[in-house]
Order: sequence, then structure tokens, then C-alpha cells
Amino acid sequence: MLQHWLLGSLALQNIGRRKARASLLIAAVAISSAIVFTGVVMMRSIETSMAVGFSRLGADLMVVPQNALTNITAALLTAEPTGEVLDADLLDQAHITGISRAAPQRVFRTEQSEFGGQGESVDLIGYDPGNDFTIQPWINERLGRPMQPGDVILGAARDVPLGSEIALFGKPFRVYAKLGRTGAGTHERGIFMPSAELLALVPAIREQTRKTPPMLEPRKVSGFLIELTPGATELQVRFALLSHLSGTKVVAGGSLLTGIRQGVTALLGGAISLVSMMFASTALMVSVLFSAIVTERRSELGLLKAIGAKRSQIVGMVLIEAIVATGGGGLCGVVFGMLLLRLFERSLVYYLTEIGVPFLWLDRMDTVLVAAACILGAGLIGAIGALTPAWRSSRHDPYDLIRGEG
Amino acid sequence: MLSCRRLRKTYQTDRGPVDAVRGVDLDVAARHYVAVIGRSGSGKSSLMAMIGGLSQPSAGSILIEGADIWSFNDNAMAQFRNRRIGYIFQFASLLPTLRAIDNVALPALLDRHSGTADTYNRAAQLLTEVGLGSHFDAYPSEMSAGEQRRTVIARALINNPILLLADEPTSDLDVETESEIMALLLNVNHERGTTLILVTHNLALASKAEQVVQIADGAIVP
Ligand SMILES: Nc1ncnc2c1ncn2[C@@H]1O[C@H](COP(=O)(O)OP(=O)(O)O)[C@@H](O)[C@H]1O
Ligand SMILES: [Mg+2]
Repeated sequence: MLQHWLLGSLALQNIGRRKARASLLIAAVAISSAIVFTGVVMMRSIETSMAVGFSRLGADLMVVPQNALTNITAALLTAEPTGEVLDADLLDQAHITGISRAAPQRVFRTEQSEFGGQGESVDLIGYDPGNDFTIQPWINERLGRPMQPGDVILGAARDVPLGSEIALFGKPFRVYAKLGRTGAGTHERGIFMPSAELLALVPAIREQTRKTPPMLEPRKVSGFLIELTPGATELQVRFALLSHLSGTKVVAGGSLLTGIRQGVTALLGGAISLVSMMFASTALMVSVLFSAIVTERRSELGLLKAIGAKRSQIVGMVLIEAIVATGGGGLCGVVFGMLLLRLFERSLVYYLTEIGVPFLWLDRMDTVLVAAACILGAGLIGAIGALTPAWRSSRHDPYDLIRGEG
Repeated sequence: MLSCRRLRKTYQTDRGPVDAVRGVDLDVAARHYVAVIGRSGSGKSSLMAMIGGLSQPSAGSILIEGADIWSFNDNAMAQFRNRRIGYIFQFASLLPTLRAIDNVALPALLDRHSGTADTYNRAAQLLTEVGLGSHFDAYPSEMSAGEQRRTVIARALINNPILLLADEPTSDLDVETESEIMALLLNVNHERGTTLILVTHNLALASKAEQVVQIADGAIVP
């Protein structure tokens, strides 16, 4: 304990001897640490936001029957309610690259469901819970249990309380969840349920309407919503779809949104390599600096060795100096990074929220973990950078070190 | 207590090898005062550094109290330097960031043998003995060359070494200070019985020694 205190105080005094140099080192480490801290917190925040928020941007493309009327301006959240249908296995057959997810939907528009009053037009939308990426992300409130058979999800414009029972074609359903406001009419007034549930309703529908609507045939769907893989362009995939599938129409969503989604993915990849490069270059810089510092102090290290300091004590003293300086830099960087995050909050995040992309900050606990990791990482960089020079010089005979030849 | 056999030191330099010490046999009895004399560049410092465990011999052996010191591992060697040897260098050798009393206490603090309070008491006592009773808190830069050298002597004594090695400890001091420092060293040898090997150009001082070793061109002149 005593010797650690002693070596520690010698190390601190050594930092204090060259205040300008120590400040520059601390500043350099602080800048990297600030970049890493801000970068990681932003990245992780964007990632979580993407999971919820960017997925709400809807599909990149929609594949619908040739003759379907489509509302181009509507967000690509649901397929169109027309009488035309596509084969459910259409896309599986075509093997088209560039598609990351394809969500089949059945949209059945009816005035005979007896929901919401006599003759009220209602869209019943069947989705595939495993592939869906345009409905579930919009859930705003839900019952505190997993979804069960007999549960439906209502669009924001339907004024029915959560948990209440509704009847569709004489069958009871429970309102399990409600969606947020999307601005897309079909979406806002729709009643959503897994396709299997919608198909199970067919006997009741037949009783009322005396026929099976075409999209409720087991092997048919109204259309597909498609999300592109990062890097795939809308044009390529649209062209591939059209050349492989006859009798279809491909509707593009806002290419801006596709751009944002793909851009963010690329940005995250870039940020990770930037962070690792920062780490490596700071470690190199510290190593070079401490080679110089150790060389400069050779005679003092030799003197310490001459009066009986062990190699471990000499290496320890240099390491403590490096770790305190770089760890201190890391701490300053984290503080600086917090200020940067404030700045982002007022600019980028404000802007994103304005255009309707919710931004979810990394939670406090994780932010503290990232901060701690940055400070520890900075200290580690110091230790790694200083270890080799310290170890090498501690190997020499004290006499050589004192004479400046170590 | 000291026995050197066929001791050699060869430095590898850019201009080829330099034989600084070439086959020295030397025996020193306990409690003796040994003076080492010789021209500059004759190999005195190299010899002292090897005996003090500061510079590895190229060949030969050094036995101190029967132990072959250069067969020690790193930690044993550190402990040997720390506890057995008191080295007084030819040049300033205090740590500039430490006060006089910290410098004196440092060797004892490096070795976890005694408590801090005890160590500082001894350091204060030693500083008083070498005549620096009022300089405990002075930094090296605030002391004269003579005061710094006295501090080094106090540091060399803190762990009660068995062998005091002084390599031209007064070469940069004025005559009056030199004689004070020398008196101090001889006093340590007399009073404490610490074996003293002193490199000096002062023949009057050398004449007081029990043993005079003259070195020329890396070898002892018979
Ligand atoms: N580290 C070294 N590297 C190369 N040559 C050295 C080194 N130390 C001493 N020498 C050479 O060894 C010889 C003896 O030096 P030294 O032991 O310092 O003698 P002295 O102390 O008697 O003046 C000199 O020629 C000197 O130049
Ligand atoms: Mg010399």
C-alpha cells in the first residue's frame, strides 16, 4: 500500500513537471474519448430508435395486382383494398435479390361487418406477424399480455377503448392494441389481425355476404410490402420484380426514406470503424510520447533502480503516470461528450422529432456504462502505450540508464 | 567481505569494443577504508558500478559476504542494492520532485521493511547527522552542491548498508566543502564500521586508507 502511494505520488509529480505536455496529452486523449463517447451513445441511441422509429418509415416498395388502384402519396403501410389478388407464394417463386423483408397483407374492405354502425365501411387487414414490419411498430398502447387468438389491433382513428369487446360478422373480438397516428387513412381506420384469424372468419363472412372475397382465399393475398436490403436500390429491385412477375404493379415509397434508412446503416458502420481507428491512433500516440518521456527520464529511472527499486516498481510508476494522464483525459472527454450530446439534442434530435422520427436516447444506466468504458478504455490505452517503453528501459543496468545510454 | 575475481568490463561502442576493466582481482576486508586512485578514464567508475550491482560485468565474479551478486535474479538484485549498498555518485543524484527528507527516506520506502513514521524519523536523524537539520523540506534545486551531496550520503545510509561506495563524491566541490564531505564519510567508516570504497584524486585522503588500489588502463597496478 505504502509503496503504491509512494510510486503514485512520484508519478503525479512527474505529470506536474511538464504541465504543457501533460495538458496536450490530456487534451488529445479527451478529444478522442469525447468522439468515442458521443459516437457510441449516438450510435446506440440511433440503433434503438431505428428498431422502433425508423421501422415506422414503412415499406420501400409495394407489390400489388396490375389493376389495383393505388394511392401513391399514402405511406407504404398497408396494401390497397381492391378486388384484385396475387398468389401468396409469388415472391418465394421469383427469388429476387435485394429484398430483406416481404410482408404479405390481405385487405378486405366491407360494409357488412356490422362494426361501427349499419353500412360503415371497414378495412379488415390480415398481416403475417412473423414478417410484418409496418403495423406492429406503430403500436402505441397495448394490453399487458401477449397477443392471443381473438385479439385485434385498431387504427388510431377508431375511438374504441383498449380491452373492450367488438363484434365482426357476429364474432367477438378483444381490442388488444391501438396504433399511433400515421396519417394514412387505411391505416388509421383499419382493423388489424393476423391473417390466420382473418381466414378463420371466412365462414361467418360467407354467411353474411354469400361469397368468399378473393383475397381471403387461402393461397391469395392483396399485396406485399417490401423492405430493401442495405445497398439495394429501389430501381434495381423494382426492375427485377417487374421482369419476374407478370400481372403486378410495383409502387415505390418515398425514396428519401429509403435513403435515410440505408444512410443510417452505412453511417453506423462508418462510425464503428472511426471509433476503432481513434482508439488505435491514440494508443500509438501515447506509446510514442511515453517512449520519449521514458528516454528523457532514463537517468532518474536508473537512479531509482540503483537505490533498489524493483523493475515492477519502475514499470508501475510509469504506468500509473500514463494511466492517470490518459484516464484523466478520458474523464474530460466524457464531460465534453456530454456537452456535445446536449448540442445534438437541440439540433439533430429536435429536427428528427419534428419530421416525425422519434428519437430514443440510450437509457441513463447504459450511458453511464459507456462513459465508464470510455474512461477505462482511455486508461487502458495509456497502460498499453506506456508498457513497452517502460518495460524495455527497466531492463537496462542502472549504470547505463544513469549515463543516459539505456 | 568483498572479493572480485578476473573482473572484466567491455563496452560495445560504435567505434568498436572498449575494454574499461581488464581482469581485476580485488579483496577488501570488512570495516576497511579502501581508496581507489587512478587517472581519468582508467576504469575506476566501471569497477565501482560492477561492485555496487549497477553494471553487469562482461566476465568474472564479485562475491560480497560470500554471495555471488551477479547471479541474483532481478528482485534479489534490487534488494541487494537497496539493503546492502550505499552508493554516492559523482554527480547530482537526488530526485528533483522530492524534498530532501523524502529523498533520504526513499530507499527505505521502496522496501516495505519499516513503517513510514519510523523511516521518516531515521531520515530526519540522518539529515541532522550530516548537518542538514534545518533543510528537511528543501527541494534539491534549493540546495547547494555540498548540501545535495550530504543529502545523498544520508540517503546512502538509511538502510544501514554494509558497503559504502563513493565515486569521486567531491570532484565538483570547492576544497573546503570537499574536506567536510570527506570527513563525514571517514566518520561513517569509523563510527558505524561501514566498509568504504572511495574513488579520489586526493592523495592525502588516500594515504589515510587501510588499502590503496591504483588503477591504470583497466587493471590494478601492483
Ligand atoms: N557506457 C560506456 N560506454 C562506452 N564506453 C564507456 C562507458 N563507460 C565508460 N566507458 C569508457 O571506459 C573507460 C573507463 O571509463 P570509467 O570507468 O568511467 O573510468 P574512470 O571512472 O576511471 O574515469 C573510458 O575509456 C570510458 O570512455
Ligand atoms: Mg569515473
